[in-house]
Amino acid sequence: MILLGEFALWVALPVSIWGIVLAFVGGHRKRGDLVLSAERSVYAVFFLLCLTSLGIILAFVGEHYEYRYVWGYSSRELETYFKVTGLWAGQRGSLVFWVLLLTLFSAIAVFQNRRKNREFMPSVVGVLLTITAFFLGVLLFADVNPFERLPFTPANGQGLNPQLQNYWMTIHPPTLYLGFTSFSVPFAFGVAALVTGKTDSRWLVVTRRWTLLSWFFLTNGIIFGMRWAYEELGWGGYWFWDPVENASLLPWLTATAFLHSVMIQEHRGMLKMWNLSLVSLTFLLTIFATFLTRSGLIESVHSFAQNTRIAYIFLAFLGVATMACLLLILWRKDDLRAERTIESFLSRESAFLMNNLILLGSAFAVLWGTLFPLISEGFAGTKVAVGPAFFNRVNIPIGLVLLALTGIGPVIAWRKATRRNLERNFLSPLLMAAAVTAGLMIAGMRGFYALATFAICGFVLTILATEFWKGTRARARIEGEGLGRAFLHLIARNRRRWGGYVVHVGIVLMFAGFAGASFHTETDQSVEPGDQIRAASPYGHEYVLTYQGLSSSRTPNMWQWVALMDVSRDGRRLGTVTAEQRIYSTSDQPIREVGIRSTPLEDVYVILAGVEDFEGAVLNESSAQGAVFQVLVRPLVGWIWYGGLVITLGSLIALWPGAGGPARRKVQAAPASARLAKV
Amino acid sequence: MKNSRFYIGLAGVAMVVTFLIWTGFDKAMVYYLTPVELMAKAAEDDTFHDIGVKVSGRVVKGSYQAEGAFEHYFSVMDLAREDASFRVEYRDILPDTFSDETEVVVEGRFRRDGVFEATTVLTKCGSRYEAMPDEMAG
Repeated sequence: MILLGEFALWVALPVSIWGIVLAFVGGHRKRGDLVLSAERSVYAVFFLLCLTSLGIILAFVGEHYEYRYVWGYSSRELETYFKVTGLWAGQRGSLVFWVLLLTLFSAIAVFQNRRKNREFMPSVVGVLLTITAFFLGVLLFADVNPFERLPFTPANGQGLNPQLQNYWMTIHPPTLYLGFTSFSVPFAFGVAALVTGKTDSRWLVVTRRWTLLSWFFLTNGIIFGMRWAYEELGWGGYWFWDPVENASLLPWLTATAFLHSVMIQEHRGMLKMWNLSLVSLTFLLTIFATFLTRSGLIESVHSFAQNTRIAYIFLAFLGVATMACLLLILWRKDDLRAERTIESFLSRESAFLMNNLILLGSAFAVLWGTLFPLISEGFAGTKVAVGPAFFNRVNIPIGLVLLALTGIGPVIAWRKATRRNLERNFLSPLLMAAAVTAGLMIAGMRGFYALATFAICGFVLTILATEFWKGTRARARIEGEGLGRAFLHLIARNRRRWGGYVVHVGIVLMFAGFAGASFHTETDQSVEPGDQIRAASPYGHEYVLTYQGLSSSRTPNMWQWVALMDVSRDGRRLGTVTAEQRIYSTSDQPIREVGIRSTPLEDVYVILAGVEDFEGAVLNESSAQGAVFQVLVRPLVGWIWYGGLVITLGSLIALWPGAGGPARRKVQAAPASARLAKV
Repeated sequence: MKNSRFYIGLAGVAMVVTFLIWTGFDKAMVYYLTPVELMAKAAEDDTFHDIGVKVSGRVVKGSYQAEGAFEHYFSVMDLAREDASFRVEYRDILPDTFSDETEVVVEGRFRRDGVFEATTVLTKCGSRYEAMPDEMAG
């Protein structure tokens, strides 16, 4: 079965190349039979990749350490769960996984369009198979074949890095990859629109749900990664502006821009060239992100070793793809003229364009900062890096403007906002922002960015709440429904719009969580059993953590030292929290497992930073209980995860299949739809 | 032109972003050097003692000393040249994976007395994982 998987990988490449030829020849000569045959090769490649992936998983589960990849990422002691997820634990397997997902989405796209949008399909199939063939080529010819055998059969594998043995880590990469790969579909349709010359907004409508799906996965993938960093890396943060983190943020920024700018093309027939450029850019950035995480070109906590060969191959592919996109867009430049122009700076078009520009500016800053060590080394001979301070300095102000736009965008009028429109929509939100600022300042909060963030959060939430309220009330009145029913129907009738607003609410919550970071406190202390650590919370109360002692235990996979702390707040006992150090059998270095006590207001984050005498603790000697702790109080971190859940909910509302788009509502009673269809 | 105000707005945004990037660089730029490069630069240009630098090297075997959990002293040597090394002083909690001969990246200031005052110490993964180039990637 493993051999079959290896065989399938080799067969998949010629099949996909054959499919590319068929698709382009069939499209050019208008031969439906050839196109159909090309589409079948998409299904075939997907099936072959399933076999390949199954082969790798079986090699992991069956403990076949003669395969270099399995040897490097598994061991007999590893739980079966982590053996199965070994498919994407390392570079080789994750490349296979990437292609598997790409072919899965290709197959779905082909199946969806088996009867419609036929004129697009030759190019769509051709593009998707070209990407597939590129990755298959890398897998087979760039020293990263997952089926490479070692000259001998080791008795055991090297084991999986303990920090990867975490729930979030098993779902973070696949989610991100789902986002990366599914974006290939809108890109393929964009290219098809260029090739066929049908550059009206139809390709956008066809791929609307795909874009949203990809955005949904990207967002969740990034949040899962943050969650993993927070729980597992043990420094109390969730984002470090590490190159690999940045790499996943880049396509998210441009995809978010795209998600908004398509609405302008749909409504106003503008920005055609911009949308095609954005879809291409986002696609290129997904490839770039895959490449950055998988090549080790830039030093990062994620990747250290260099495989320069694969780096050059990826760079060449990126270069060729960029050129191809540019040439196609220039070739169709006359068809891509806008049907209208922007009429006023104070309009929804303009707000959306601002959003786009700002997102791209942020993406540019992140890209520049990430690549700067390479750029400076290439041009000046010295490596100059920029740290988190740079990214924060640039992105915090940008982020705040974006945050404000999540409120302005939904309510400002199309074309030209009148004074009346502005007053009606923004007066009370502005008052709310002022009230929030005043309230927080009276409560003693200082710090410009934090105050600004909370003020803007208040502004946006007021706008969104008003929108939901107005919509619900109007519907309740017109349809004679109760408020609860009217609210649900309102959302169901135009899920894309209201789902989008729910996403905006989630973004606001996340920003509130980010702002909490400016108030976090840290207390470092070395203690003996019975000693107390006092940690002040920014809200004014005090946590007292009483150290109870260490206990050690052993499992086949690891040694564990668990420290127990009793937690009380302002004299009231809250319970206990444990923090650990572990030494896994495959490594001789201790790994920290932090203890987190989470409440909506703040997290108490306990790190067992050091154990004074590991051996003594194992023997349970009473003199060997000394330990060093870091106690962090991190306000509002929980809001990031709640915000993430709200974003998920909003995206699901918008994604839910079936009717619900504005287009279907034309038959309804005029006043209601006129009110509701004002998207 | 009717929408000239709009273009002025766009230009304004572009300028603000550029300004932020520009000034952000000034504040957050750090040289990324090897120990050999650092010592050469510092000998040549005295201002290198005042700015933030990031240096990657290897912890010299047996050089590590600690006073409690929050005061650490060790030497870092060049990956290519063992004789090029300097002392590092670090007043915080070391990462789990820190030990003799690990590859580290220290960030901080190279003082005029030849001691590197580190504000952060990052460790690269130990020898156990060298065959696993990208085990944390994702």
